[in-house]
Amino acid sequence: MGQTFTIGIGGAAGQGVATPGDIFAKIFSRRGLHVNAYNAYQSIIRGGHTFLTVRTGSGKVTNMGDRMDLLIPLNQDTMNRHLDLLTAGGACLYNADAIKPGTAADGVQLCPLPASKLADISRNKVAQNTLAIGAALSMAGIGFQSFESVLREQFKNKEDAVIAENIKLAWAGYDYATQNFKPFANPVPMTDNRYALLSGNAAMAMGGAAAGVKFYCAYPMSPATGVLHWMASHARQAGIMVRQAEDEIAVINMAIGAANAGVRSMCATSGGGFALMSEGLGLSAMMETPVVVIDCQRAGPSTGVPTKTEQGDLWQMLGAAFGDYPRVIAAPLDIADCFTLMPEIFNVSDRFQIPAIVLCDLLLSEGRLSVDPKVLDFNPTIDRGELIAQTNGTSAEDGGYKRYKITESGVSPRALPGLEGYIHTLSSDEHDEDGVLISDEYTNAAKRRAMMEKRMRKVQGIEAMVPAPTLQGSKTADVTLVGWGSTQGVIEEAREILLEQGITANQLQIRWLVPLHGEAILEILKDSPHTIIVENNYSGQFARYLRSETSFVPNGHIRKYDGEPFMPHHIVEAVKEQLAGKSTLSVPMHEIMV
Amino acid sequence: MATTTVTNAPAPKTNRLGLQVLDYRGGKTTLCAGCGHNSISERIIDAMYEMGVQPERLMKLSGIGCSSKSPAYFMGRSFSFNSVHGRMPSVATGALLSNHTMMALGVSGDGDTASIGMGQFVHLLRRNLPMIYIIEDNGVYGLTKGQFSATADVGSKLKTGVINDLPPIDTCSLAIQLGATFVGRSFSGDKKQLLAMLKAAIAHKGTVMLDVISPCVTFNDHEGSTKSYKYMQEHEEAIAEVGFVPSFEDIAVDYDPGTTYNVTMHDGSHLRLRKLHEGYNPTDRVTAVTQLMQSHATGEVLTGVFYVNTEKPTFIDQLNLVDAPLGTLPQERTRPAKAVLDEIMSKHR
Ligand SMILES: Cc1ncc(C[n+]2csc(CCOP(=O)(O)OP(=O)(O)O)c2C)c(N)n1
Ligand code: SF4
Ligand SMILES: [Mg+2]
Repeated sequence: MGQTFTIGIGGAAGQGVATPGDIFAKIFSRRGLHVNAYNAYQSIIRGGHTFLTVRTGSGKVTNMGDRMDLLIPLNQDTMNRHLDLLTAGGACLYNADAIKPGTAADGVQLCPLPASKLADISRNKVAQNTLAIGAALSMAGIGFQSFESVLREQFKNKEDAVIAENIKLAWAGYDYATQNFKPFANPVPMTDNRYALLSGNAAMAMGGAAAGVKFYCAYPMSPATGVLHWMASHARQAGIMVRQAEDEIAVINMAIGAANAGVRSMCATSGGGFALMSEGLGLSAMMETPVVVIDCQRAGPSTGVPTKTEQGDLWQMLGAAFGDYPRVIAAPLDIADCFTLMPEIFNVSDRFQIPAIVLCDLLLSEGRLSVDPKVLDFNPTIDRGELIAQTNGTSAEDGGYKRYKITESGVSPRALPGLEGYIHTLSSDEHDEDGVLISDEYTNAAKRRAMMEKRMRKVQGIEAMVPAPTLQGSKTADVTLVGWGSTQGVIEEAREILLEQGITANQLQIRWLVPLHGEAILEILKDSPHTIIVENNYSGQFARYLRSETSFVPNGHIRKYDGEPFMPHHIVEAVKEQLAGKSTLSVPMHEIMV
Repeated sequence: MATTTVTNAPAPKTNRLGLQVLDYRGGKTTLCAGCGHNSISERIIDAMYEMGVQPERLMKLSGIGCSSKSPAYFMGRSFSFNSVHGRMPSVATGALLSNHTMMALGVSGDGDTASIGMGQFVHLLRRNLPMIYIIEDNGVYGLTKGQFSATADVGSKLKTGVINDLPPIDTCSLAIQLGATFVGRSFSGDKKQLLAMLKAAIAHKGTVMLDVISPCVTFNDHEGSTKSYKYMQEHEEAIAEVGFVPSFEDIAVDYDPGTTYNVTMHDGSHLRLRKLHEGYNPTDRVTAVTQLMQSHATGEVLTGVFYVNTEKPTFIDQLNLVDAPLGTLPQERTRPAKAVLDEIMSKHR
């Protein structure tokens, strides 16, 4: 990971926390740095408390990190809550007119800005924010130049006078800091690289567009709403039919209706909305109509904690809809993967005519990460499988087209409605090869069995198409950390820290949850002297799943279910505790209360 | 095998596409003998045949219930989509948005529509999606053996003696208020009226909502039921006589503008509605709803076309969709062009 620099900005919702956050993120990104941004907030539109963390560095920055270098409290509450996040070398920039400083740790620089002397506070309510940005630019050795262009973009809908005023304010902050505060020991670096800054939701939407999605529908639900926003604002431009439906039941059924007419169709929701989609998911499975559903997990159950993250929906995905049917479930490992996973999962879904679930979470959905544009392949292979979309006027198979033809692979060529010679019936009822309901005369047990086996035969093909997970790090290590989805980055950093402390750790990160490739996992884990499963939920949902599939029992668990993501030190400390034999279940406490 | 040509047999009757009624039939029904749903299937076959609809251009959609099973028993040469309970409106919306070149006919039940599927149904009406939506209304859940549905009248009695104590949902008033552009009620036993209404429905562009009273002979055709054959024969009250002249037929028949509304449909067909009720006006939503509410008070079952609007744009027109079905666009058109993506990416730098 290398040297990083982290800024924390906090205030009440409506105080403009987002703007300085965006400005810093952009400035860092333009300097060719990696950026990771995470916003901790609550489900209210005004008031409450919002705390944004922006971390940057010249190497990969995979998570929000453990410590802060600069704290910008926009209100007293933030000062009181978060000053102790700063350790030696850190600094806190605050409006001395409005905020009383707390007691800082040794080596932390308190930097009061005399806001009313530097600006006309009565006229510009967010003047303190701009002053602080200017001061930070000076202290972090960033200089002023990059600020102006970013501000112009950020304020592109504002009048010139407003922009000019803000530039003046930032200059005032910059100059004041240069004269009065000590700069940071390590100035923020610069590289020639260029990255794109994406949220997971935007990345999934763009990945969908790259995969050729033509139909997107959704009902708003945090933290999935960002996908809908991206889709809605790019619908015309990208040529995608985007609809907001009346509820998630309508969403999944509309998506299936569209998919059946031949388009690649996608929808996104969170756990509660997904619960409403469950019956529809079974419809997709029974009718063998491919559809991709994104579930952005938030802390449950029920309305739960709408603005907080969790990996608590795994078993809902595994058990969604009744009956047995083939499905695939994959959890993106980071924000870039939110993009790359989409075309891959669409290809599996299309090839095998099955529902596919992307199991994301708030951490990735709403977090932002710098992504190397080279990773974003907008021309990925599109494999629609055995799709009959066109006829040359001749009837298929002597006029005897069978939509659910029994085949060795379990996949039956799928003709689109409206094609001459390919008349067919699709049904949620069990049916025979022709689509005729098997219960219409008497229930034919042999036919039912044949259709069940036909559908389930797809599993072998899916397993062959989807890669098995591989071990990251050295083959032999003191401990193997097993995670899934969004914990990739934080576990990676925890391993680096452990190594500095003399403990070698390797990592098995699961991306494809179904199919799981249990044999391959056992093969990897059997050599490990100590295995610990790390997950963002209470009951160890993945640990239970792995055990049910493979009988594998790890040595210990690290779990977190307080709504916040892991920080590297949570994992580091827990690993050390467990290797010392003090515990087999660690539940680290989150220090940042938002 | 040798074929014998019988030269003197009369040529089978065909429609304007040269197809026989046979080409519009479906599988053998598995519904109860005498079930109203079967008669509705028959009328759909007649209407489609007489209108000369190309069977392969039709998409049949349904939910779950005895009624929703019936698409298997007509139009066997059409595409069929038997979805889950109450969700057909959503499936139809998705399907038509992706391929609006197909004609869509939805068949639902009173349970499928007015209970479990109400959320989806009302939103379908708002969209004015170009489709025919038929509720085969028997006041009960036939397939689950005869419990009351939400269209059962207050005081209506089940075979078991249970009396319905909640007011019915009038799907026609609802449809008129929410934006459907062709709304009517008929009775499965009223062959002539139902056929004329179905033919006009085929000619209409927009959401057609037809509530067809369709007695369930097994669970709701006894004394005390308000959805029985007998009750309907005694209480059906046509608001207007429905006549239909398709575009491809001569409109020689004169009508009296004083007593008859002549509605010119999108395809040039003519719907002739001869007033039987004081104040009838099928172009005015308020009048239509008022008359429906008055009929509930008097206990009569109003039938006929209550409301027609041939002007309101359909959902497809409104969205300004490309002509070709989205589902069959060539791959180079399924994803955004490079220039578009470059522009989008520039915003993320
Ligand atoms: C989600 C769900 N709940 C319940 C059922 C059971 N069910 C099947 S059909 C039906 C009622 C059908 O009534 P209606 O739509 O009026 O059709 P009818 O059989 O009367 O024609 C019910 C409750 C189901 N299939 N799915
Ligand atoms: S149970 Fe009633 S609705 Fe169902 S088929 Fe028999 S008569 Fe028709
Ligand atoms: Mg019914």
